[in-house]
Amino acid sequence: MTRDSLAVVKRNHAYHVIAEDYSYKTEAYYTILERELSGENIHPSSRNVLDAFVVPICLERAKLTGIPVMEWGISQAYVPLPAILYGLNYFATASDFFVVQDNEQAKDVVKHITNKGKYPFCYQKLDDGATIHTCTAVFGRTVGSCTAIEGYAEKIYNLFSIPLVSMVFVKTGSGVVLSSLAPTRYTHLTEKERALLAAYRDEQEFL
Amino acid sequence: MSRLGIFVDRKTLSNAEQLSALINCRDVAENRGHDVEFLFPVDINKIPKMDALFIRARTDPMNITYVAARMADFHGIPVIDDSDSIQICGDKINMYSHLQKKNVALPKTVYLSKNDLSVERVSQLFDTLGTPLIVKEPSTSFSLRVEKVTDIAGFFRVARRFIKMSDWIVVQQFVESTYDWRVGVLGGKLLYACKYTIPSVTFKIQASVNGHIVYCGVESVPEIAVPPNVIQLGIDAADAIGNGLYGVDIKNNNGDARVIEVNDNPSLESGEDACYPLVYERIIDHLFTA
Repeated sequence: MTRDSLAVVKRNHAYHVIAEDYSYKTEAYYTILERELSGENIHPSSRNVLDAFVVPICLERAKLTGIPVMEWGISQAYVPLPAILYGLNYFATASDFFVVQDNEQAKDVVKHITNKGKYPFCYQKLDDGATIHTCTAVFGRTVGSCTAIEGYAEKIYNLFSIPLVSMVFVKTGSGVVLSSLAPTRYTHLTEKERALLAAYRDEQEFL
Repeated sequence: MSRLGIFVDRKTLSNAEQLSALINCRDVAENRGHDVEFLFPVDINKIPKMDALFIRARTDPMNITYVAARMADFHGIPVIDDSDSIQICGDKINMYSHLQKKNVALPKTVYLSKNDLSVERVSQLFDTLGTPLIVKEPSTSFSLRVEKVTDIAGFFRVARRFIKMSDWIVVQQFVESTYDWRVGVLGGKLLYACKYTIPSVTFKIQASVNGHIVYCGVESVPEIAVPPNVIQLGIDAADAIGNGLYGVDIKNNNGDARVIEVNDNPSLESGEDACYPLVYERIIDHLFTA
């Protein structure tokens, strides 16, 4: 699929919109909305794409279904260190997350993501030694991920029904937890992920 | 004793009128036997401890107010504005689509995708909707990113700017008027009505003219002095969105009333409710009986 293109496929009596970016006010979002309003059984729903890409809501919904998630807080300035920071405003996207290790760095990032203090932001405190891992799910399937992430990808798909999504996880001594979901570009997919997406798009059956 | 959370942000508290309105709201709630706590974005984790939530900050599906409304949803807490209303009213395409679905009278309205932006299509829009046209970026509020255009070149100038913020934009027939009706509706019933008088230097209720913000005049109007068709249209429009609190803007030229927009989180701090002293009582009772 080419940049910005989207496809609508029918599987199991429902329509699925495949797109790079389902964010608010994108072509994909309005395609979903238009079909929802005309009464079609369309996935993902406009509500699910909004929820998935607003980090605190994504984590609260994931937690309610048993997916382990990062503890989060909202702040205007204070940041516990080290931490991952996400903007929380009209101009922010969950694709842009910032890892801050010290006060100087945190000050600069906070200034940027809050538009000089205008908006609040979401922080997630990182444990010592925590590492961040990003991987892509295609209809809830991953390629070459560990069993834990494979399981979470499926649960995340069952929750939000987003065919193509980038998942950000934090790995600590005690396991892997979800930090956020974000849109992903076709160009960022590996050969195998592209093949998986093509198979879904072309309605091949999986055993 | 029930706890009411009033969700605010720095901007809500940045002007004296809003602050007075919030204090009035708190006093009314306390007089009705409720505990009231002002909640700021950093207090969002306190929402589950509330029995009802009243959001008084600029709502948008991409900002903290949507998080607050969803947190209330997750914990079964009655909330104004609810997350559905924020999602629908925050996006004019979603909002007008809901109104059209329920056959609510609107100016002629078309949605234009960035993929359909061509001279032929724009020329066709002028032919169908007339001149001038109103072009809106879907998440506009307070008349920001609403422009009147009179020719194809002007249309493209505005559309290109708006399409950087949204893949679809709204194109609407222009309806001239010197004032808009604002019909406040709560739970499907009239809550208040007022007139917003449009400044003579602009066609919007708020505009930047030569670097200065020009605001509309506000005149609260008793129910008996509001045309019944305007009240009914306001209620019908609100019902097409949900069961919460809405401010419906209506132009009523020669009895031909048309909805200009439905706002969640309507302003209550500029005297809109002067003829309706029980507005906050009704809002609070609505929340606690939901």
